[in-house]
Amino acid sequence: MDSRVPHPRLSALDLEAILGVTTALAQPFDLTTMLAEVVNAAKQVLKADRGSVWLYDPAKEELVLEVATGIPAVRVPATAGLAGACAQSRAIINVPDCYADRRFDPRVDRESGYRTRCMLTLPLIDHRGALVGVMQVLNKAGGVFDAGDETLAAALAAQCAVALQRVRMTEALIEGERMRQQLELARDVQMSTLPSAMPAIPGYDLFGTSRPAEQTGGDTFDMIPTQRGLVVVLGDATGHGIAPALSVTQMQAMLRMAFRLGADLATAFRNVNDQLAATLADDRFITAFIGVLDPRTHRFEFHSGGQGPILHLSAATGACTSHRPTSFPLGAMPLANLRPSVTLDMQPGDAVLLLSDGVYEYQDPDGQAYGEARVEAIARSHGARSMAALAARILADVEAFARGAPQQDDVTLVLVARAPATAARRFARRVDALPALFAFTAAFFAEHGVDVALLSPVDFAIEELFTNMVKYGRPGRDEVELALARIAGGVDVALTDYDVEPFDPTQAPDADVTLPIEQRAPGGLGIHLTRRLVEELEYRYVPERREARISFRKRSDPARQGGA
Amino acid sequence: MLTIEAGADGIVVVKGRLDAAQAAHAQGFLDQVSGTVTLDVAGLEYISSAGLGVLLKTQKRLMGSAGKLRLAGMSPHLRDIFVYSGFDQLFEIEPAR
Repeated sequence: MDSRVPHPRLSALDLEAILGVTTALAQPFDLTTMLAEVVNAAKQVLKADRGSVWLYDPAKEELVLEVATGIPAVRVPATAGLAGACAQSRAIINVPDCYADRRFDPRVDRESGYRTRCMLTLPLIDHRGALVGVMQVLNKAGGVFDAGDETLAAALAAQCAVALQRVRMTEALIEGERMRQQLELARDVQMSTLPSAMPAIPGYDLFGTSRPAEQTGGDTFDMIPTQRGLVVVLGDATGHGIAPALSVTQMQAMLRMAFRLGADLATAFRNVNDQLAATLADDRFITAFIGVLDPRTHRFEFHSGGQGPILHLSAATGACTSHRPTSFPLGAMPLANLRPSVTLDMQPGDAVLLLSDGVYEYQDPDGQAYGEARVEAIARSHGARSMAALAARILADVEAFARGAPQQDDVTLVLVARAPATAARRFARRVDALPALFAFTAAFFAEHGVDVALLSPVDFAIEELFTNMVKYGRPGRDEVELALARIAGGVDVALTDYDVEPFDPTQAPDADVTLPIEQRAPGGLGIHLTRRLVEELEYRYVPERREARISFRKRSDPARQGGA
Repeated sequence: MLTIEAGADGIVVVKGRLDAAQAAHAQGFLDQVSGTVTLDVAGLEYISSAGLGVLLKTQKRLMGSAGKLRLAGMSPHLRDIFVYSGFDQLFEIEPAR
């Protein structure tokens, strides 16, 4: 409190008015009500005829008269008149005769027909020392403003400044909350358009997922069964906030409409591009992969507007081919010449991986990007497992890579895989069935182009595991199923024995190959070698069905042999 | 940090990182250019999609009055971004010297 100037005339009524202001200002209300409250209190306490509060607009260097009893709102430069002089000096200005002061601007009087005699002008300074506005009270009843009035007015001004700041902060908070709610709504709309279940396409394994980032991102994906085949879409709109969320939703709706109306790929791509070019802001665009998969011919034709890389994993070679986009991003410009589309030939076991740049550009705490090589490595080693499992592995790997670094962008994965070539047959659980097993395996290798160099170790493992089943199997259903699947760079093998007790040969101890020959028993060596010849040897027993399944895989990729 | 300024022979030289934080600054500069403008990007270390948006908006405006942006001195890294985003189809890119 400022106690330097005594205030002998502070009446009970004055005190009541100031306390009234304090109470009124503590309540949450809008700026207009609050300013009116302050002005009314000032008029009462200072016995003034009129009062006004100018708000300071630092961006425009102007004073804005939001409230003046009986006077409409005006904007003036923050240097004009007595209010401007006060804003510049940040000191109280007490003018007993306004028309004798050169700083006074009589135009307001001329417009309102009012005559200003004396005026007290005070700066409104917030607690951080920033100018918030200027308060003016005019025409004290029966005289001019004195030093006591200045003290009283200063106390009011301090209240007013704090309250003003609070109201502005509240308004900013409300605005922020409104923005947040709008963003959330836009995101809800965006997410609600994603397919909740993947369409069932015989012979194909499809999986799509999108993890939205907290604030920004405009990813979408879609899988639409149409007459032409399965339409596969991955889109990513640039920008932050509500706009990208809405524009990808718009694109997705356009694409659905175009394909439902029977458009071919090029027509749909071109028309959606041109429509988006006409509606999107000049600096906005959507990168998008749009493909049509024919599940009968296994041809996957696509156009990509700036969406890449497009990874095609070949099961036959185990290699990953990265395709470039065919065009610039959708909506960047009207399309004059559309380059030819690209068609991928989906062989058994092949997979196409479409990932948004939220994956490739995910940064670890050191600013390193996740990159393409990691995705390819996981895809190559994944083999014939489900696309849902592959997506989970990629997401887990990204998370491990990030080491807690926050997700900055939407992360979206769309995976399309053709079922691998498989064959299964049941064989009598007898040792003399072995030649039939070998013939079956050799035929599968030849038919599906599996590297023949893998045949010997695969036969070795099959023989070992099969003879184990013959040896330990109890009488029951006397058949064992051998199932083969072509995977990238090799083969997946599973032997299933039925109606048996659990027995896990993979748990057998390693043979001690260092013992002298007379101490070595024949058992155990087969499993010992199998473990070293093949990868991922696994045993599973299903008690309900009394079913024992042992599986392994073998690949020619030399990089994979090291850890086996 | 980003600097963008007029160099010799009417070439506009852009250096540093053209990301979302710098996009408005670059846009403000490029809004003033006209005709056919060569943009020297040899010193451009990084460009985000927001930066691509700035170039796109400028390209559209210049093309509206028979002008264009020509990009010179592109690093292999930057070229990859242009190729992978299909933006190489929207701009004239001068071959590396």
